[in-house]
Amino acid sequence: MTARYLIGRLLQAAAVILVVTVIVFGLLHALPGGPARGILGPHASAAQIAAFNQAQGLTKPLPVQYAYYLNTLLHGDLGTSYTLNEPVSQLIAQRLPKTLVLTVLSAIIGLAVALPLGMWQAVRRNKPTDYLITALSFIAYATPVYFLGIVLVLVFSQILPWFPSEAPQGDTVLQVLSDPAGLVLPVVAGAASMVAVFSRYMRGAVLENLGEDYVRTARAGGDRPRAILWRHVFRNSLTPVVAMLGYYVPVLFGGALVVEQLFNYPGMGLLFWSAAQSSDYPVLLGCVLVISVATVIGTLLADVVQRLIDPRVQAGDEA
Amino acid sequence: MSPARTPRRRRKLAALAAGAGLLLAACQGSGTSASATSDSVNYALPADFTPNWILPIGTAAHLNTNNISIAAALWEPLIAYDGSTGTIAWNKADSVATAADFAADGRSVTITLGDRHWSDGQPVTSRDVEFWFNLIKADKANWAGYNPGQAPDNWTSFKVLSSTKFTITFDKSYNDQWMLANELSSITPLPQHAWDKTGASAAVSNADETAAGAVQVWNYLNSAATSISGYATNALWKTIDGPYSVASWSSAGKVVLSANAKYDGGEKANIKTVNLLPFTTTTAEENALRAGSVDYGYIDPTDMGQSSSFTNHGYSVKPWTGWAITYMPYNFDNPTMGAVFKQLYARQAVQESIDQTTLAKAVFNGTATAGYGPVPQSEESDFLSAVQKSNPYPFSTANAKALLTGHGWTEQGSVMVCTNVGSGANQCGAGVAAGTKFQMQVLSQSGSSVTDNLMSAVQSSLAETGIGFTIKTAPVNTVLSETPQCTATQSICGWQLSYFGTAGSWYFSAYPSGDSLFETGGGANFGNYSDPAVDALIKATTTSSSTEAMQAYSAALAKALPVIWLPEPDYQISVVKNGLSLVAQDSLANFHPAQWKWTN
Repeated sequence: MTARYLIGRLLQAAAVILVVTVIVFGLLHALPGGPARGILGPHASAAQIAAFNQAQGLTKPLPVQYAYYLNTLLHGDLGTSYTLNEPVSQLIAQRLPKTLVLTVLSAIIGLAVALPLGMWQAVRRNKPTDYLITALSFIAYATPVYFLGIVLVLVFSQILPWFPSEAPQGDTVLQVLSDPAGLVLPVVAGAASMVAVFSRYMRGAVLENLGEDYVRTARAGGDRPRAILWRHVFRNSLTPVVAMLGYYVPVLFGGALVVEQLFNYPGMGLLFWSAAQSSDYPVLLGCVLVISVATVIGTLLADVVQRLIDPRVQAGDEA
Repeated sequence: MSPARTPRRRRKLAALAAGAGLLLAACQGSGTSASATSDSVNYALPADFTPNWILPIGTAAHLNTNNISIAAALWEPLIAYDGSTGTIAWNKADSVATAADFAADGRSVTITLGDRHWSDGQPVTSRDVEFWFNLIKADKANWAGYNPGQAPDNWTSFKVLSSTKFTITFDKSYNDQWMLANELSSITPLPQHAWDKTGASAAVSNADETAAGAVQVWNYLNSAATSISGYATNALWKTIDGPYSVASWSSAGKVVLSANAKYDGGEKANIKTVNLLPFTTTTAEENALRAGSVDYGYIDPTDMGQSSSFTNHGYSVKPWTGWAITYMPYNFDNPTMGAVFKQLYARQAVQESIDQTTLAKAVFNGTATAGYGPVPQSEESDFLSAVQKSNPYPFSTANAKALLTGHGWTEQGSVMVCTNVGSGANQCGAGVAAGTKFQMQVLSQSGSSVTDNLMSAVQSSLAETGIGFTIKTAPVNTVLSETPQCTATQSICGWQLSYFGTAGSWYFSAYPSGDSLFETGGGANFGNYSDPAVDALIKATTTSSSTEAMQAYSAALAKALPVIWLPEPDYQISVVKNGLSLVAQDSLANFHPAQWKWTN
């Protein structure tokens, strides 16, 4: 992997993020009426609305507003929330770690279950257990996270009072992690669809690899099936899964929104949703920026990891 | 399966079982528990609301009833209005003032303060009220309570008579009830001896006595109030005269109030610790209720059918009515439908097509009251006219249809079309073009199944009359943004009807005059309704002390239909743990933790 490749990808990523901010900024400001009345409520007078628009720079031409936004962004200032009375960077700093705890734990647990499950299905392909798990995967994939969350709360919090219905209410990551019982239901809700999706990917990838010549050669050479599976097939099957993982970052954030709403866990997803409801432009732009950066980094990391685990990818590019 | 592999599998299974057992064991008792003790109470804040303002001077962006309630628990209002006595009235127990004596000519008021002290031992004096007055006078445009022409514009002078007595003079004679309830009640004495400074490092002075100095003090206080992390620690917020102080204020929204041991007013806290809990959604809050971790919460009106699941767990369901009206404003300047909306017969036809009694029962599960005019009907009051009370336009789609056909409209397909143009008695009316379809569109608040059902029901009954009604939905902030006051030539004037009343469209101050709602040019007169006769009646409500003025206004607007009147939903369907006494739920939509107490 060359430095040139990395620099090229980083420049691409910066361009993508810039385009995203232009599109989101344009769309937000294209809304008729502007945010003032919505933010200030029906009781606000015309003078208060005018003062708000003036104070927020909303009376200036759109390109000027965007240039101002970009300038403050480059200076590390994401603006101040219209409704939450705090700098956007501070809000994101408070909420993002909480969402990351949820999404990272969901992803780790989801993958820890999905990858072996996919392999196991592939090894036992077209047997009753494979059909059963395939059916369960489809059900899990088709079940909305919201519905699954409600069922989990109903069964494991109300009928069987094993876990609290609320996620941990602490403000810091440490406080959140110190209440593992509170994390169980939200993490399971977040991980379920991931298990469904990635076990299917893994099953397909393993099946494809099991039919490859190198597997036949290894078998002919007397290698044990288990060793072939774990030493060779597993690693090669990870390539498409890793690629998919990078693109899954926005889905994880989307899922977090629902999980956060249901389990009373104010993280990034909920921040984004509330900002969208209240036309809180600075927060919306800040959230979009963070999600864009996370997605770009996710895909970049996926590419890098792909190249590390599968030299064929790099060789293909260089050819 | 080989014999050699079996023990290993068993070991794995045993390890898994042990792990699961440990996890479950760890979870036992880790759930949240009810606080039902005499020392604390857990109160659920509205879904998706984060308390974010401590200063008892609200700026427009922070005007929220929950922020106001918290601030009022820390700094007691000069004159507090609430519903704790059963009707909305001045509650002297939680007010700093003990008397307000109006001059015979109604042009001034002399107010007497009680013998009260700040938490640092300093007395609460007239100077503390003057401090508030000076700040508001100097920076009125940024004060949430400001409406041009009203306070502080109509307060011409403030004169300190003694440390506990002062006089405010007005620009003309006013209705004393209106002045007390809608203007003087917005005053909160502030600790001048601690807050009158222009910066964190500046010394306390009399900076507020000049306009420039007052602006500096205002800016300093507002700037300090933007730091939520300092709400529990900043010395500014420690000088209080209310029944509670802030013990902690989390950026995630949880606020803990602690009883103020130095409080010397009439409404001492009965419960030592009040936990105000934030919730992301009503569903999350209901889960917490079911788990017993909330003492005073709420349910969605659509869940009224499941109220037994709460009553069986030791709760009582107590609807909390609001001092509010609910309506859909017409846009009288809409280029397509404005001319139709200006015809009273057309508005009558619309109003007669809406069966409020059935809507209140079927859509709101009985948690709403039919409202036929500008005065809230969910509570008894002297302001309500007999005309409004008796519904001048009872539901009858046959009548509504006859009204339209009698005025030059013909049903074509399923929609009425104007076929007889002109302003005669049997014609469509001035400005209504031939071929105009009686087809309206509403931009309605999204996110509530009750509102969705309400709109669908209205659509069905209007269709029976031959009136088309299409529904577009958006978040409430978008609805408010996209349905502004406008003139016909503006591109923004395309909206026809607006609905932002899922929790009530308009919450009144104690005196429900309609100055900003229905007066020509009123700040919240979104549809630009204008009638000089109504303007005169509204003016009379603010200047005449007779309740007849309010009744005349109530009757006139019930008949004039400046908006489509709709059922008034309860502010909240409260679910309260048995044993927690609330005294009353304030229909002004504020909560008063000092009034709560555990009775067992």
